[in-house]
Amino acid sequence: MNVLETQNVTKVFQEGREQVNVLNGVSLALEAGEIVALEGPSGSGKTTFLSIVGCILTPSSGRVFVDGEEVDSLNPAQLPEIRKKSIGFVFQQYNLFPSLTALENVQYALKIKGKTGPAARKEADKALESVGLTDRKNFLPRDLSGGQKQRVALARALAGAPPLMLADEPTANLDTQLGTQIIELFRESAKRDNRGVLIVTHDPKVRTIADRVLQIRDGRILQ
Amino acid sequence: MVDLAFKSLLHDKLKFAITVAGVAFAVMLVFVQVGLFMGLMDNATITIQNISADLWVTSKNTPNIDFSHAFPQAYVERVRTIPGVERADNLIIWFSQLSLPSGAQEGTEIYALEDFSKWNLPWNIQSGDVEQLRRGRYIMMDNSAIKRYGKFEVGEYREINESRFKIIGRTRDARSFTTTPLTFMDYRLVQGLNQQQLTNRTTYILVKVASGADINTVQKEIQRRLPFNDVYTKQQWANKSRSYWIVNTGLGLNMAVTVFLGCLVGIVIVAQTLYSSTMEHLKEFGTVKAIGGSNADIYSILTKQASIAAIAGYVVGAGMAYGLRPAMAKVDLKLMISNELSVMVFVGALVLCLGAAMISFRKVASIDPALVFRT
Repeated sequence: MNVLETQNVTKVFQEGREQVNVLNGVSLALEAGEIVALEGPSGSGKTTFLSIVGCILTPSSGRVFVDGEEVDSLNPAQLPEIRKKSIGFVFQQYNLFPSLTALENVQYALKIKGKTGPAARKEADKALESVGLTDRKNFLPRDLSGGQKQRVALARALAGAPPLMLADEPTANLDTQLGTQIIELFRESAKRDNRGVLIVTHDPKVRTIADRVLQIRDGRILQ
Repeated sequence: MVDLAFKSLLHDKLKFAITVAGVAFAVMLVFVQVGLFMGLMDNATITIQNISADLWVTSKNTPNIDFSHAFPQAYVERVRTIPGVERADNLIIWFSQLSLPSGAQEGTEIYALEDFSKWNLPWNIQSGDVEQLRRGRYIMMDNSAIKRYGKFEVGEYREINESRFKIIGRTRDARSFTTTPLTFMDYRLVQGLNQQQLTNRTTYILVKVASGADINTVQKEIQRRLPFNDVYTKQQWANKSRSYWIVNTGLGLNMAVTVFLGCLVGIVIVAQTLYSSTMEHLKEFGTVKAIGGSNADIYSILTKQASIAAIAGYVVGAGMAYGLRPAMAKVDLKLMISNELSVMVFVGALVLCLGAAMISFRKVASIDPALVFRT
């Protein structure tokens, strides 16, 4: 089953009087348990594509299905529900809440998803355990290394068990060893939980765990 | 429960302290301004509130209790004949000059009755017997006079309008809005001091209504029989006296402007701090949106932070205002903080802070969650 499918997705931005075609008919299918690496140079449209499949932007045309639900025609007010229910994000800059501990960062994501109380606490503990951070769960982000922060971000993305995980350059700020550890965690998460993972990256190490590697250039996926 | 609003607010303790200080300053300013104003207003009517008269007969258009005008004292006989009147007596309130031992002169506001004890005046006697006032050239003076007259003792003499009087007692809390110290003496004596204006004349008639009688009916009947005087209930007379000082002197406007400025300073500080905090946390709010949070989730964070700032600022500001009371009392300023004022200031602080938070709402609504992908 596809957890993500796009059909001829385009995105046009208006910049002054000019129209800029950022995506020119991108089609992609991502199955549950599959890891796809999306590579491309700056300006190729990969972040815009990630935003569209992450239900942050809507496409100018084309169809987008997330976990079987067509989302391209939803109005912007409906998109947070899809993000909440079906998508976990991992960002290049981690984007952790600096005032919350590792555990609280994960718990807060669960709270947004409507999960609170002891069950949420247990799930957050489990998510941190799965990324090997049990002993750092009460640390604030400022007291964690880059790799540990990214693992917290990964645990936060795993919380609530979304069927689709989207990652934007998750290893860009990490050294080789830490980067390898992180992408290994992505692989484990995808295979263990049958989760579809789309990783936008420049990092060749990601190729080693990806089931497929796609290239995007000028808003088009090269086969 | 993870409380992002609370933790995020306390994460930057200095900024939180500045926010709280802003609210606290505004709260304290409002408490002090309004409290002093209420203290002044209390002084303006404290004798009206304590004298046990149900109705006051004044000369026509007397603006407040201190600015009295004389009218024939025989009018009291007319009042005494009205059904429902239990007791009616003349009261003279009159400004005179009091000579100090230093040779200087100060004003004094004389309250003169034939029988003080029947009217609960003075109501707080520190020493002396008020019954003795009518038995000689005696006066009682209020302790608040010390600031203007210097120290005085029972048994000493003072001259009023060049007549010598023995101090036979001291009172407390008897003040006027004008800050002129109050002196109590016998009715006939004050008439003797000011013969030209006060011979056979009084400035007020105090009326006690019999139990069971309707005050309004008695008031109307007195007004009918004394058409060239005004008749007020205790509350009406207190309100009229207060409103004179508030409206005619610009004191009310002065206070309103100061309170407004205090609130403005508070709201600007809180709004500025919350807005800059929002700007600094844009990426965090973008992350909240990216992980599925709505604008409402972020509004609730800002609302909670504003409420916390309001509560903390209120506690600090109110504490400072209460702490100032003894110091103000030492310089003879009465800072009155009533329960009603406390509740109103709390609600005001909360509303101001929430209003300030709303300035950030528009910014939050426009946050593009895609900014989480930007480095």
